[in-house]
This record gives sequence, structure tokens and C-alpha cells, in this order.
Amino acid sequence: MDIRSLKQQSDHSFNLAVSKKNALERAKSRQLFAYNNHLFRADADTINLVHALKQNNKKFFILDANDNPCEIDNAEEFLQLLIERNQETLNQYHQLHEQLKSKE
Amino acid sequence: MSTGALIYCFNSEQVQYHRTTNFCIELIKKNLLLPVTVVTNSATKDHIKGADSFVVIDNQKNNIRFYKDKTIPWYNLERSRSYDYSPYDTTILLDSDYFVYTNNLLELINSDYEFLLHNRVHDLTGRGSFEYNNRSMIPLVWATVTVFKKTERVRKIFDMIKHIQKNYSYFCKLYRIDFANFRNDYAFAMALNQLDGFNQQYFLPTAMSMIPTDTKVLKIDHTGIVFQYDKFVNLVTEQDVHVLDKEIPINV
Repeated sequence: MDIRSLKQQSDHSFNLAVSKKNALERAKSRQLFAYNNHLFRADADTINLVHALKQNNKKFFILDANDNPCEIDNAEEFLQLLIERNQETLNQYHQLHEQLKSKE
Repeated sequence: MSTGALIYCFNSEQVQYHRTTNFCIELIKKNLLLPVTVVTNSATKDHIKGADSFVVIDNQKNNIRFYKDKTIPWYNLERSRSYDYSPYDTTILLDSDYFVYTNNLLELINSDYEFLLHNRVHDLTGRGSFEYNNRSMIPLVWATVTVFKKTERVRKIFDMIKHIQKNYSYFCKLYRIDFANFRNDYAFAMALNQLDGFNQQYFLPTAMSMIPTDTKVLKIDHTGIVFQYDKFVNLVTEQDVHVLDKEIPINV
């Protein structure tokens, strides 16, 4: 058993894991955006919630990133903005993820 | 309604803070397109480049910190007066070693929140170096980036910070804070706790990315930072970063 090579693999994996974690954190930072004077995260939870609520209501209330209520009166526009920002950040994360995968 | 950035910069014999300040100003101009006001003293002012305006004061000098096994002066006693020094309606108050590689902070000024700062951090070296939960009764907040508007409530927050600074040893005992030297992060945390009903309610809802003190910055430019800790070398780009190493190889 070549312990040295196992140690190198371990170090390499640690470095890749940190890079992925940092890239994910970068994506999360970018997902924050202001709408109707409130702050929201353009993440899967928010997108799913807005998508679900807009099926039955033109106007509705949701909680912002600090748990304060905000009325959404143009759900279509809001959902579009959420999806755009979400996909922008995940596309960037995906590109880095692919680069890192090739180094595994 | 005016918006701008406010930075503090006081050189000491040990650290030439104007170097990081100048680089910080360059990045603000490039990525946030905002005017910058620097609070400084007369000895440091001439070294600062790119600022739109200055507030020149005779800064207090009676605080110290431990940095890389040394004790060095810590000129951090003026931050509580940011409300008075800022010429802007909305201010992004930044440490001079916080580098903005994105325009993410601009989102915050479009919200109704009057006073926002981080309560979570992300260690870019992957070691979780900033766990201070056992060092006080209240969660730590980070005064590194503070976005505030000039409102009555915010004026009271800064008044409370001044009061805490004046009576720091008492408040440290009250909150069982295990950090004897004055630290703005704790002063801000205590002020918010007092004024927000013994609670801390509103934060900047992302984690602040940090490069710890024991990590060497190998290269830094307008595109990103290459850093090394132990044998690991990593790169950060398009992400706002707080760098704790005071010996950054900046040539500005």
C-alpha cells in the first residue's frame, strides 16, 4: 500500500471540496436580490413557493430573507426575475463544477 | 437620495493601511460605481488615492490587538461615529481590507432595511476558523460591512454603540464577552441586542467570505485573489472577500 499516494489523494480531494464549497457560497451570495424594497434569495424554495402561490392568486404575501412579509402584486415578473438570477448563478457554478470534475 | 462608501484608514508604524485602502477604493469604483469618503488622519491622508472626499480627524490611539504573535496598535475606535462622518443618505461602511469583486452590495441599498450587517461568515480555506460561539452570551455580528440609512432608529443604534464603547468593560461583563480589547463586532452586537428588544433581528442574509490571518495572500489584482494556507493553494474570483492578512502584496 502506497501511503504517500493515499495522502496526496486525500489532499487533492480536500482542495477540490473547498473549491466547490466556495463556488457554492459565491452562487448563494449572488442569489440575494431586492424586490419591492425587500430582500429575497433566488433559490429553489422561493421559486417553488412563488410558482405554487401564483397558480391561484394574482396577489399574495411571502416572507423575505429576514422573515418580514412582503406583498407580491406582479407574480409573473417576480418569478421571472427569481428564475433568471437563480439560473445565472447555477450556470456559473455548473461551469466550475465541470472543471473540477475533470480534475478528480 | 445619495449613496456612497465610507472607509476608515489610519496608518501605524507596523501596518501601512493606506495600501489596502487604495486597492479597496479602486474596486469600489470599478464594481459599485459609488463615491468614496475616507475617514483618516493628517499623517495618512496624503497616501490615499482615489477618494472623493475626506474626513480628517485626530484619531484615538489607545487600543491594541494581537496579530501573528505580536501586539500591534489597533486604531478602531472611531467607527461608532460613522453616522456623523458619512455625508450620504445611504452608506456602505467597509473595512479597508474588504474587497468588492462584485456589485452584490448594490442590492442591499434597494431594500427598506435601515441597518444591515453579516451574522455569518464563510472561511474560504474550508476550516471554519471563525467559530466564536463560546466567547460571549450573544451571537457575534461582523461590523466589517455595514449598510445603513440616516434614520432616527439608526442614529440611536450608533448612539448606543458610542455608549457601549465608553463603558466597554461593563458591557463585556454583562454579556460575558471573553475579549478584553475593544472590538467593534461585539460593540455592534451588543447595541443591536439592546435596541432590538434583547434580540438581533435583521441581517445581511448571506455569509461573508473571509481569508483568515494565518493564510498568505500570494497574488491579488482586480480579477481575484490567490491564497495559500499550509500546502493548499486556492483562488477566489467574482466574490467579495474580507482578507485578514495585513501584509497583502498590493502595489498601489
